[in-house]
Amino acid sequence: MDKKIIYIKDTSFALDRTKDVHAILLNGLRDRGMQDSVQAVRVADIGAYNQGVVVKVLPDTTYYGVKDEDLGRILDAVKQGTVVKELAARKEPRQLRIVLRNCGVIDPESIEEYMANEGYQAIKKVLFDLKTQDNTIDEMKKSGLRGRGGAGYPTWMKWNFAKKMASDQKYVICNGDEGDPGAYMDRSVLEGDPHSVVEGMMIAGFSVGASVGYFYIRAEYPLAVERIQKAIDQCYANGLLGKNILGSDFNFDLEIRLGAGAFVCGEETALIASIEGKRGAPHPRPPYPSVKGLWDKPTVINNVETLANVAYIINRGGDAFAKVGTQTSKGTKVFALTGKVKNSGLVEVPMGTTIREIVFDIGGGVYKNKNIKAVQTGGPSGGVIPKDFLDTPVDYENLQKLGSIMGSGGMIVMDEDDCMVDIARFYQRFCFDESCGKCSPCRIGTAQMLGFLSKIAEGRGEIGDLDNLRRIAQSMQRAALCGLGQTAPNPVISTLRYYEDEYRVHILDKKCPSKKCRDLLSYKIIPEKCKKCGLCFMNCEAKAITGNKDDGYIIDMNKCVRCGRCFEVCKFKAVGKE
Amino acid sequence: MSKITKESLENIAKQPKKEENNWIKVGMSSCGIAAGADEVFRVLTEEVKKRNIPVAVKKCGCVGMCSVEPLVEVNVDGMPQVTYGRVNGEVAIQIIEEHIHNHRLVNDHIYDIQVKK
Repeated sequence: MDKKIIYIKDTSFALDRTKDVHAILLNGLRDRGMQDSVQAVRVADIGAYNQGVVVKVLPDTTYYGVKDEDLGRILDAVKQGTVVKELAARKEPRQLRIVLRNCGVIDPESIEEYMANEGYQAIKKVLFDLKTQDNTIDEMKKSGLRGRGGAGYPTWMKWNFAKKMASDQKYVICNGDEGDPGAYMDRSVLEGDPHSVVEGMMIAGFSVGASVGYFYIRAEYPLAVERIQKAIDQCYANGLLGKNILGSDFNFDLEIRLGAGAFVCGEETALIASIEGKRGAPHPRPPYPSVKGLWDKPTVINNVETLANVAYIINRGGDAFAKVGTQTSKGTKVFALTGKVKNSGLVEVPMGTTIREIVFDIGGGVYKNKNIKAVQTGGPSGGVIPKDFLDTPVDYENLQKLGSIMGSGGMIVMDEDDCMVDIARFYQRFCFDESCGKCSPCRIGTAQMLGFLSKIAEGRGEIGDLDNLRRIAQSMQRAALCGLGQTAPNPVISTLRYYEDEYRVHILDKKCPSKKCRDLLSYKIIPEKCKKCGLCFMNCEAKAITGNKDDGYIIDMNKCVRCGRCFEVCKFKAVGKE
Repeated sequence: MSKITKESLENIAKQPKKEENNWIKVGMSSCGIAAGADEVFRVLTEEVKKRNIPVAVKKCGCVGMCSVEPLVEVNVDGMPQVTYGRVNGEVAIQIIEEHIHNHRLVNDHIYDIQVKK
């Protein structure tokens, strides 16, 4: 007979009593003579947060907020094979895995394992059951899949435009140039399930009538490149790529092109230029790539995550896929949950899940139990979502209304220690560095905005700077050539929209409320708390602290470089920071 | 390996999906490797070979819990499927000795449990 297992974990934010509860359970088991048939085990994560002591009895009973005195009743119930009904809770799965269906399940370097998990059934269905391009695109239309790269353009429409173009040669490109700070969903899909992206490319190629496909992957992802190359080689060896695939008259070749890591090359026209061997700079649209793209031929560019959805949609049918999600945004979205969150990692949830559920129920809440301030989505093209809007269901439209974007799916949690001016400055510096310089609104705009933000963060800000920032932001949104420049002001606009007060405090009071902006800080030794130990004195590299063990110490703010070392080393909290 | 045809794909689809037991999977994406999955994979393969245990050690991609990498998923007969996180060489040996040999779960490293049907 299988051994019964009880899992326990104290999920309260304060004191961790997991070990105590474990000891009580072990004693209880011994008293009841069940120590050999039942194992109580301490787990590191039980999938619930801030619920007190959680006890889980396999297979499917979960008790939340268990008190010590309840443990005996639970053990009695386990012995009799029953459930303590008044304590038991019902738990629903919150994550839904479509894109990541094989990630962490199969060996990414084995085509056999992929095929044992419905692999390459979709391309077979497309070639022999759906038969025509129209049927395949129709299935995609039913699914309502929208591009996962950021803008959310319906995938079927993109394919349809390219299909309608008459041309001797068409191309499909997989955009694996993931550059947002803190986002790595595409890398994980490419590394964990390369064959599903290859299959998505094949289906896209068939639908638009393309015979050649390119993976554009940044060179910073060596493992992803290696695994995609392996997947492509395996496909060639097995006759899944090349001429007459599966005995049909469909021919398709795949190749990898490496990106050198320029952020702008994630923009589709710049990406095409980069593949052509030119400098990675965008050009005006229209003509759109689906009309005139790679080597002036009709080209479809899809994001990695979009393509990873395709095989699933074909296998299960567009209608089944469309049941998941909200009215306008179908399916699931993978988020890379990072920043000040307990469980950082990849999260795949149905569209329409609230940000609160993602951050608190799946992510486990804010790191070190601090208060959440905002969530940043969409990277340098997105904006911040203040904590008041955490209950907004995530979809393309809702995020846009809040002044952010879905983007490729980075989600950065910020706590009360994060300064919004600093955040805006960080993203502006990123855009300034990554701007290709082809159009002046972006080239000059990012530099000017960065200048104003630095001025504010360094305590030289004037109140008129805010209007200047807004004016530059507006003109960039209207006049910049490509998506990078048009969206680069977004972090500034959204922080100004929700946190103008914070900017004003920086400018008028020359203070940083989150104590982040270095130049606005001042350190002071509080004589009442100081034990005159001299630790700060010894650690001050700038020699800004003077004094001795008898008279105490003082900090000379003219010499201080504001490294914060004295604040960190003081064991008595006698160094004040403000 | 022979070429895959329409027929061979149909055959695969017709076959009932067989649930393989007795494997250990190590998450070997960038996140896992950065946290030391290479070492864990090496220890596990060596120990399994040394002790002659009929368990396959495999690689897999990222399951998403990147904050607690390296992740090791264990599935052996008569035990639920368990994901261990923050595994190092020492814990890997514990997994082999306790989980696989003695059929007792290892405390403090479990991050996910799946009950097999």
